[in-house]
Amino acid sequence: MCNDHHNKLTSNNRDLQKIERQIDRRHFLKKTSLGLGAIALSSLLGAEKMFGATGSKTKEDIILENYNKNRLGLPHHLPKAKRIIYLFQSGGPSQMDLFDYKPKLVDMFGKELPESIIGGQRLTGMSGSQSTLPIAPSTFNFKQYGKSKAWVSDAMPYLSEVVDDLCFMKGMQTDQINHTPAITFMQTGHQLPGRPSIGSWLSYGLGSDNENLPTFITLVSKNGKGQPLKSSLWGNGFLPTEHQGVQFRSGKDPVLYLSDPENYDGNDRRHMLDYLGGLNDIQNDAYGDPEIQARMSQYEMAFKMQTSVPEVADLSDEPDHIFELYGKDSRDPGTYAANCLMARKLLEKGVKFVQLYHQGWDQHNNCPGGLKHQCKKTDQGTAALIKDLKQRGMLDDTLVIWGGEFGRTVYSQGQLTKENHGRDHHPKAFTMWMAGAGVKPGFSYGETDDFSYNVIKDPLHVHDFHATLMHLVGVDHERLTFKHQGRRYRLTDVHGHVVKDLLT
Amino acid sequence: MDNSVPDFVLFLGRFHPLVVHLPIGFLFFAFVLEVFSRWKKNPMLTTGIPLALLLGAISGAVACVLGYMLSLSGDYEADALDTHFWFGIATTAIAFLAWLIRIEKIKIAKLNRLQPNISSLTLLVILLSVTGHYGGNLTHGSDYLLKYSPFGKEEKTELVAVTKLEDAQVFNHLVGPILDNKCASCHNESKKKGSLSFHDSTAILKGGKNGKILISGNASESEMIKRVLLEPHHDDFMPPEGKTPLTEEEIAILTYWIDNAKGNFDATVANVETPEDISGIASTMLGLSSSVVKGADIALPTVSVVTANQIVDLEKEGFTLRELVFDSGLYEVVLAPNTVVKGDGQAALKKLEKLLTIKENIIWLSLEDNQLTDESLKIVGQLPNIQKLKLNKNPLSDTAITELVNLKSLTSLNLYGTQVTSKSLQTIAKITSLKHVYVWKTNIKQEDIDEMALNDYPEVILGL
Repeated sequence: MCNDHHNKLTSNNRDLQKIERQIDRRHFLKKTSLGLGAIALSSLLGAEKMFGATGSKTKEDIILENYNKNRLGLPHHLPKAKRIIYLFQSGGPSQMDLFDYKPKLVDMFGKELPESIIGGQRLTGMSGSQSTLPIAPSTFNFKQYGKSKAWVSDAMPYLSEVVDDLCFMKGMQTDQINHTPAITFMQTGHQLPGRPSIGSWLSYGLGSDNENLPTFITLVSKNGKGQPLKSSLWGNGFLPTEHQGVQFRSGKDPVLYLSDPENYDGNDRRHMLDYLGGLNDIQNDAYGDPEIQARMSQYEMAFKMQTSVPEVADLSDEPDHIFELYGKDSRDPGTYAANCLMARKLLEKGVKFVQLYHQGWDQHNNCPGGLKHQCKKTDQGTAALIKDLKQRGMLDDTLVIWGGEFGRTVYSQGQLTKENHGRDHHPKAFTMWMAGAGVKPGFSYGETDDFSYNVIKDPLHVHDFHATLMHLVGVDHERLTFKHQGRRYRLTDVHGHVVKDLLT
Repeated sequence: MDNSVPDFVLFLGRFHPLVVHLPIGFLFFAFVLEVFSRWKKNPMLTTGIPLALLLGAISGAVACVLGYMLSLSGDYEADALDTHFWFGIATTAIAFLAWLIRIEKIKIAKLNRLQPNISSLTLLVILLSVTGHYGGNLTHGSDYLLKYSPFGKEEKTELVAVTKLEDAQVFNHLVGPILDNKCASCHNESKKKGSLSFHDSTAILKGGKNGKILISGNASESEMIKRVLLEPHHDDFMPPEGKTPLTEEEIAILTYWIDNAKGNFDATVANVETPEDISGIASTMLGLSSSVVKGADIALPTVSVVTANQIVDLEKEGFTLRELVFDSGLYEVVLAPNTVVKGDGQAALKKLEKLLTIKENIIWLSLEDNQLTDESLKIVGQLPNIQKLKLNKNPLSDTAITELVNLKSLTSLNLYGTQVTSKSLQTIAKITSLKHVYVWKTNIKQEDIDEMALNDYPEVILGL
């Protein structure tokens, strides 16, 4: 018990250590030397404060507290986007089989990828030891769609209907060649876990637009196969805990441990939380640990979510034509399509950042078949979400983002045949797209060489993408910082430029 | 120009503007002491005068030497420089002379009647002022001092105010003012940093010590554009650190002049190919109505702050307020859906009336699904700065939309799930700032929209 107490007092946060040091020797002696009497007295005093405090807060006070100026001085400028939905395609979708049309490859089938194109790049251990790196043209057929004449392969028939709303980024570049670091980099701006994710930064910087749901919600397609996802991707890092993404699951219990246990009616929950809040308040006064406040606000949020989550997760009041729009998968909770539909509902309820994850884009072998399968699972839902947001007028202030952690190689990993090939990881060039608030519709930025291997025009690094994303929600990425371990951190750390060419 | 001047000399020379204030102070103080001692009849005050004169003369001499060093940089126009140069030397010489007179090393009996002390000091102050003035002209340009004077404003070339963008001259109306504002303080007739001046077309075409600064029709290769596009910390970035950089709009105008108008000094906007974004920027620069401009962002209004009490009042009515730019007083206001229940249209009206207390502060407004009646839109029509308006899922008819025609900043209007008909499409045409209108689940059909497909008509989104 006593040891436990001690542990709580050691923090590696310098600011926190300062607070801890305030509980110095004198403080300690005062509290202990007077013995039990003092302890009893202090708890009595605390109790008095506790009952006094909760009663006296008027509604005005609470409103004012919430609407006091944003303590961080945000937004820095007028936002274009009020909310973001990020459709993360985990595994690394193949750019040249979906959007980055490379017609010249057809004639180069099976030829060795020139060394001048690889440029001495270190390949992964999976294909680096191959004796040959034969060029594998896409097996998909490309056509131009819409007024913007965007190239899309026949793997994505639904998305091709909405290309005039999309802003393609074909010169994406990342620093990481393997999944975990690359996806961590894409989601947190750093390849090692421990930094706050994009959604956490936005929650921390901009606060919540609704009282009953978390600011940042994560939905993962069920039965995902392939590279594992972990909660650090939507974690808060060193930001206060209440800014972490809350994961919704499929099925009866979207958020775990939210429903009341059997044989408990929950009637005295409010009373229990008030009392607990009071106790935590005392603790907070004594130690000032921000985690106490985070815990308190999370208890409150969980309480509200007991009613708000079942409501939002219930898709039964959606009309049939909406289900038809999202595809038949959308009636099956937990699928990508159903998550897209649920995401729209969450956005409507004022959730600021919704992050979807869909696994399985890691086509090391059987790229043609694998991609087809992936697109079948996701294409209709993605396109439906764009259409649905648009007809509701929400695309006006919602930013939609689609993309994975890197792209794939033009050369075949493993055996190359006319019908089949595999593709390895490729960080130097890949395609993502955005749509909606503040980005140019029907636009394509960046260009790769004939092999979709190197970016030859307008490269767009992950840091630049982050900076631009922040810009769209009214944040100057250089000015949203958090001090941790003696220095200030930001999502883009010391990098990143806003890519103005993407903006309307 | 003259690169043979050692850097160290220029380094010392740059201290001239600093050191030059010492003689000014000393000599002027000597004059003040003299005048004061006479006025207050306090001869004690005069004891400091010789010292002040001596220090003034010495520091004046130092300033002269440093000034000469600075002049070697060749950044200054010769005529103006000469005047300043000789006046500076004269001031220093007279200062020495005045000191000698004061300590009575020089005595000219004949001149005693003229009161040599006060006369020499007066002369000094006059010389100081003249020298200082010419010096200031060299640094800041000859029109710096009187530019904002309330009297004798003489417009050199009275520009005809344009009423139509097409009539504007690309150089005189658009480019010139930018150069005057951001470049001319260092590149003018008298102060030619890097031997470059922007004072007339010949000088601009001549370029600077590194050669021509503009290549007609090729902005990206033109030095004057390259320099402003560098990283701000780059040594060659213009304007140098500490001065206000050019805005993106200004760069766009300069580029437009070089690329589209081929750097022609007489071109007018009408006979140059002018993209939409440029006409938007140009209209704003010339203070012309921006309503003709599509795609350009509507400038944010300056408004008074909203007090805490106003916020509390609105919150109690069920509104949520969120400041859109920190400390701007500009708000997004949301009335959560279903705050007003069915059959209680009057309640909605009453709530909306409260919004008039902060009517200028509302930029985005969402009243989705709140039983709004047509009548209540009269109030919305009085919120002058609204840019995004969500009225979806309210029982509104065409009458309601007519209340919105005076909203000059409205860019996005969401009418989905209302009862508007094709009539409203006519009304919408009158709101020229609109870019997007959402009419899913209304009585408007695709044919109606096709009929309205005019050039400037906003995008109407129908849905499925």
